[in-house]
Amino acid sequence: MIRRIIGLSLLIGLFFFMVEAMNEFGVLYNDEARLYFQTNGFLETGSLNLVTGIYLDYRLLDTLFEAGILLVAVSGVSWIAQHDHIEHNPLFMLDRFKIPELFVSIARVLYPIVLLFGIYVVFNGHLAPGGGFQGGSILATALLILYYIDLNKKTNLTRIFFIEKVLYLLLLLISSLSFFTRGFLFTNVVSPDMGVAWQSVFLITLNVLIGAKVALGLTAIFIAFLKEGR
Amino acid sequence: MNPYVTLIIILVGLYGLISSTNIIKSVFMATMIESGVILLFLNLGTWNGGVIPITSDVSLAIVDPIPQALMITTIVIGSTVTSLALIISIKIFHHHGSIEWKDLKR
Repeated sequence: MIRRIIGLSLLIGLFFFMVEAMNEFGVLYNDEARLYFQTNGFLETGSLNLVTGIYLDYRLLDTLFEAGILLVAVSGVSWIAQHDHIEHNPLFMLDRFKIPELFVSIARVLYPIVLLFGIYVVFNGHLAPGGGFQGGSILATALLILYYIDLNKKTNLTRIFFIEKVLYLLLLLISSLSFFTRGFLFTNVVSPDMGVAWQSVFLITLNVLIGAKVALGLTAIFIAFLKEGR
Repeated sequence: MNPYVTLIIILVGLYGLISSTNIIKSVFMATMIESGVILLFLNLGTWNGGVIPITSDVSLAIVDPIPQALMITTIVIGSTVTSLALIISIKIFHHHGSIEWKDLKR
């Protein structure tokens, strides 16, 4: 009891300390970087969505390592789970009493819509809210819905891992191509002089690669958990 | 959302992390701290207000796009860390038969 009271009072003290620190933040904050991105971001990266412009052009190295971390986590999860590489649909999903018929029917209607919406989000990542990571998550959700619809589904995990590795290598290759065209590593392949339309080709390519990779990675993690849940 | 609410979320997660007796609850509380941090950063980006950063119009005041670009990284890494922690906790349950922290000390 006493220990809990001491802990709570420490947390309340920490809260007031953090509030004090946040009041100073309004003084410390400067918006030079924001103004730079606002004036030069669209012209330099060709992306109307400035967030996409940052993570696919200015900070592309971060994005590459982020995709690498996802690859490492997927291989770690599948190594710890240690499953066979051709995975059947788990038995508890075959139980008709646990899955209502209404859910399966609605899922059949929703599946193409969710898939289409994910593809839309991936392809419009440089013009609208969205991008590779968000669209990839939506696509992974659509693939998980497919698990409920098709109860006799089999998944070849070896092929998923192979495609994911190839996609990561392609991502590294395409993003380092700019060394030969512009002289800098990890930036847009097309120089800003050629126009926004050509620059957006590079952005769409990277978004599609990242989206496919994230969708496959999350699906592989989900399948590993299904195996453990039996 | 008020930025002080995000501090409360982080601190509630911290209290849950130090007081929970269960591995799954600890993982959830770590996820809760991460959500609080994400909301805090997004709030700091909108400190001075503004419209969404999808525009080439220089005259509009936009919110800061840098915290948003950083938080995409945080969300992806947080989900991978959560999945790794959960699969390790499943393996611990298969090995020890329990996911209480006090049973694992023996």
